[in-house]
Amino acid sequence: MPSPNSRGTSSPIALIPASPTASLFRKKSPSAMSTAASYLSAVSQADARARKLTDADSTTSTPALSLSSSVTSSSADTILNETSFHANDDGLSYPKVPPTSEQVFQTVHSEFGHCGNGSFRFNSGHQKGEPLKGVEEQEPPHFVLLTTYLSYLLLIILGHIRDFVGKRIRPAAYKHLMNQDGYMALNSDFDSFYTRRLKMRIDDCFSQPTTGVPGRTILLLDRSSPDYNLTYVPTGTRTRALNVSSYNYLGFAQGSGGCADAVEESINKYGVAACGTRLEAGSLDLHVQTEALVARFIGMEDSLISSMGFATNSTIIPALVSKGCLVISDELNHASIRFGVRLSGANVRMFKHNNMEALEQLLREVISQGQPKTHRPWKKILLIVEGLYSMEGTLVNLPVILELKKKYKFYVFIDEAHSVGALGPHGRGICDYFDINPRSVDILMGTFTKSFGAAGGYIAGNKNIIDRLRVSGHTGTYTEVMTPPVLTQIMASMASIMGVAVPQDNKSVVPAHVLAYPGPAPSTALPTWMPLVPAMIDGSDGKMRLRRLAFNARYLNRALRRLGFITFGHDDSPVVPLLLFNPGKMPVFARLMRTRATPIVVVIVAYPATSLITSRVRFCLSASHTKEDIDTLLTACDEIGDLLDLKQAIGERWPLKEIMDRAVEIVNMKEMP
Amino acid sequence: MSTTTAALEPVFTFLSYSYATLETSFYKIPGSHVIARYVRSSHQNDPGRTVLEIMLFIFAVRTLLQSRTRADHSGKHFIKFDEKEINDLVEEWSPEPLAADLTPHEQAELAAVPVISGPTGPKPKLITGKTVLNLASYNFTGLAGNETINEKAVEVLRKYGLGSCGPPGFYGTQDVHIQLEKDIADFLGTESAILYAQAFSTIPSVISAFSKRGDIIVADRGVNFAIQKGLQISRSTIRWYDHNDLHSLEQVLESVERERRKKNLPLTRRFIITEGIFDHDGLISDLPKLVELKNKYKYRLVLDESISFGSVGRTGRGLTELFNVPATQVDMLVGSVATGLASGGGFCAGTCHVVNHQRINGTSFVFSAAMPAMLAVAGSEGINILRNTPSILTTLHENVRAIRAILDKVDAITIPSHPASATIHLHARIPSPTHLSPNAPPSPSLSSSGKLSNPLSVIPRDPPYYDYDLEEKLLQDVVDECLAQGVMVTRSKTLRKQELAEVRPSIRLAVTAALSRKDCEKAANVIKAACTKIIGKRR
Repeated sequence: MPSPNSRGTSSPIALIPASPTASLFRKKSPSAMSTAASYLSAVSQADARARKLTDADSTTSTPALSLSSSVTSSSADTILNETSFHANDDGLSYPKVPPTSEQVFQTVHSEFGHCGNGSFRFNSGHQKGEPLKGVEEQEPPHFVLLTTYLSYLLLIILGHIRDFVGKRIRPAAYKHLMNQDGYMALNSDFDSFYTRRLKMRIDDCFSQPTTGVPGRTILLLDRSSPDYNLTYVPTGTRTRALNVSSYNYLGFAQGSGGCADAVEESINKYGVAACGTRLEAGSLDLHVQTEALVARFIGMEDSLISSMGFATNSTIIPALVSKGCLVISDELNHASIRFGVRLSGANVRMFKHNNMEALEQLLREVISQGQPKTHRPWKKILLIVEGLYSMEGTLVNLPVILELKKKYKFYVFIDEAHSVGALGPHGRGICDYFDINPRSVDILMGTFTKSFGAAGGYIAGNKNIIDRLRVSGHTGTYTEVMTPPVLTQIMASMASIMGVAVPQDNKSVVPAHVLAYPGPAPSTALPTWMPLVPAMIDGSDGKMRLRRLAFNARYLNRALRRLGFITFGHDDSPVVPLLLFNPGKMPVFARLMRTRATPIVVVIVAYPATSLITSRVRFCLSASHTKEDIDTLLTACDEIGDLLDLKQAIGERWPLKEIMDRAVEIVNMKEMP
Repeated sequence: MSTTTAALEPVFTFLSYSYATLETSFYKIPGSHVIARYVRSSHQNDPGRTVLEIMLFIFAVRTLLQSRTRADHSGKHFIKFDEKEINDLVEEWSPEPLAADLTPHEQAELAAVPVISGPTGPKPKLITGKTVLNLASYNFTGLAGNETINEKAVEVLRKYGLGSCGPPGFYGTQDVHIQLEKDIADFLGTESAILYAQAFSTIPSVISAFSKRGDIIVADRGVNFAIQKGLQISRSTIRWYDHNDLHSLEQVLESVERERRKKNLPLTRRFIITEGIFDHDGLISDLPKLVELKNKYKYRLVLDESISFGSVGRTGRGLTELFNVPATQVDMLVGSVATGLASGGGFCAGTCHVVNHQRINGTSFVFSAAMPAMLAVAGSEGINILRNTPSILTTLHENVRAIRAILDKVDAITIPSHPASATIHLHARIPSPTHLSPNAPPSPSLSSSGKLSNPLSVIPRDPPYYDYDLEEKLLQDVVDECLAQGVMVTRSKTLRKQELAEVRPSIRLAVTAALSRKDCEKAANVIKAACTKIIGKRR
């Protein structure tokens, strides 16, 4: 079994030239577009405050080089590539507090944060029998609502004025929006109005190019726009920022460590591609092994994998339902589900997000009415919900749905794209979280992008269903297979979460009760060549990740509310939406975050992904974040929240210092009053 | 009488006073004058107009208040039941099983799928322990298992990890993705290109990003399943032309134009959608003629080069290189990084406007995680290799010629595929009473009978007759026989009930440059023997 250090030379490829100057004082990149003088002064104020705070905190920090014992040799590349070699005031590349001699961390701090404090852990799980309580969705004050609507009105009016004037002064710039030469415009000015006149203003907050591992921190390739976000020019500099945007719930986005070693081994053995489709000679033994392991992980009889998460829904749903069937869909379901349902030709009815009364009422209506016009009974009814809603942070009320299922005999399809790995004491997703037998659900779908640091998706269910999907789904016949490195990453990360049951001697078999759901993976289920580090075999690595994520999620959710922000979702959700409401606050929030002394990248979301008024910023937490990272984020939110007047929630508020000091207490509270 | 008036006097005074107060306070509200003027001008001394305005206002408010998810009780088909009746109906209803069990035929088909143990390549080992010659996997240029690519992949793994952990809009765009997009655009000679995470999901997304309800798509009757799904999801008006028959295309274009003039319809977006090399039978589109027609009738051309990119042309640039047509003449050029460059994902190349539009409107681009960095770099490296080693494509085409030289002479099969195509489809040739000329390729020649097919229907006028089940079974037997003789080939799998038009069963060979000419000839002879033995016996 090769040790993690036994890999060969790995010089980093320099696709983008590194920053030419490693200046002693960190230069702020002027990447953000300043729109007003007030915004500029706000930036400098927030910056100055943040600097003061970091300076005070970092008095105990030691020079970077003395920490080399705390990182593995593989991190040398990362250190040398670091643009701000001398400056560690942001705590992103090295921990602010050096580890003690007993603490040995195997990870690179910028990918997976060092956290030795055992009290910053929590077990995710729902108390059986208790009703599922989400955060009460608070309405903002009427003033905020009014200004939000007015903002949109203003933006739309200004946009139309600009279009009107622009078309007359610079017709060349509008040429592609006009019919010309007998061709209709590909994109009319009316259709693209929202994109051109509203999104374009804040476009610098989207599609930021990055490089390196999208782990705990992320390296941004700075850019500037000479023409108000129409085009971008790379400035050549890079900024390392705290990453609360990538889907990396369990922190498996790593360029080093057990999973990466396994993937390297697989590239040496299998190469990069598998060529072809599953049914046309593209099947590898790795596919078969991965499907078996995924089924065991999920707790289902069998599973089917697909090389793209989006396509898992869009190509499988048409094989499950067809004309004469009904799909009942939560109104906030993901685009891929809608895409798949539209292709299937089945009827669709939607119910209010997570509202079980509305669902039951709808069920009673559709079953009693039957198909439209003919009133024939439905062939079957499929309820499609998500385990964890990625824009809301809400959990599906699974216990109630299963109660309803008994009575109304519909089938349940749960999209666990965000919940698998991220929820439950064993990381097995929403069923594990509620301590429900996964086989009481008909179909569990999920993706490997979010929690496993891989790509693609799976469908798990009974063997006869999965076999049917293998034959009738579009995946097996038409789509390219998943590539070997991705398969290996999935198997290694899953084994890491599950732990591996190695028989005592070669002859004996691991007893079935040890392997029962949610137990460890039998070593026979993994390829023999796969290197496994001890922390993966005993499951301690996976356990640590699960518990750190659960702590982080609960801490941030509750702390933000204690600070007075309006948030959505459930306390245990690693997706935390913070409501901004006013469209103008979105770019300012993102730019202020990005230009802080410790830069933070965030995702801002607005219409049409949300309703018009509930523009929000969304944090995606990870097991790789340390408590200090959450504190950094909270400090930033606190300051910017004051600046932008975001603390609109009613209820008890604590000062930031108190929240940070009593973090463990906050997390362990059964229910936060 | 006067007493009543007198008694009511204070009431009138009060009324007129309160009216005056209301009016003044109303005019104090900013903007109220505008409303008053609007009401006055719309009234125009005609109460009917005011009533109409009020009704419109109420209707607008009602529409706004109606919830999207509200249950529809208002339709005339709604039957009112009481609670007990509903309970009974719920009790009574029994759904079909979620998925039908596999038939023995399907079970056998699933069991017959070969599984490779270890890496794929020209001579993979199967889990049965047998090492076979591989003419089934899409590995035209032999890039799978390339050492340089593998080394690069390991470097990228150490620098980027594996997954991209986010959609392109939310920090999932990495420099390597931008690099591959640039490489593809440079390689093909287009302004720009956009990467999708899966080849199959690329074209449905491209089609639905541009073509909406009311737009017109003229498509080939033989287009692949992915395009069919794109057409379905776009909800556009679709006209079909006969498979790879550009006369038929011209007639359809002409008829659409005639219809537009006759009904005086407004201008809509119009697209011609077809494939470079057809997935279903390996025919090659006549690109220069296509470009001529699309320019003449002012259509935009969407060309699916999923098979042709990386398999034809001097350096594998695809159909545009083969016919020496600038790629800028194709408005949306869709290709597969997975098939063409032995990596993963797909792309769409075109002008900056075409590409940028997809970055916001391409469903499977926006809502899906970006492809792993490693696969993007493998793609870039693949392009590098193709650019610098034109001999790969020469070898590939020599192999194609060698195999065709042997298989073209086999009596038991017909080959519809174009001689230059690296995918070769074999149809079983069984004499049948209704199909008098079994030599003819399935559909293209049929429209020459003089009468036109109905452009509204995907089924051509005289659909070719063949015994689907029998041919499928014979071909599967050939596949099994070849495998027993050490050559892996596969039937071209299609979803029979889900494809718009039935696709004739075929064996699909994917020739690779990684095999030597001798191995190719050996494999072709094995296939020849199997075909003669199994199909020939039937004849």
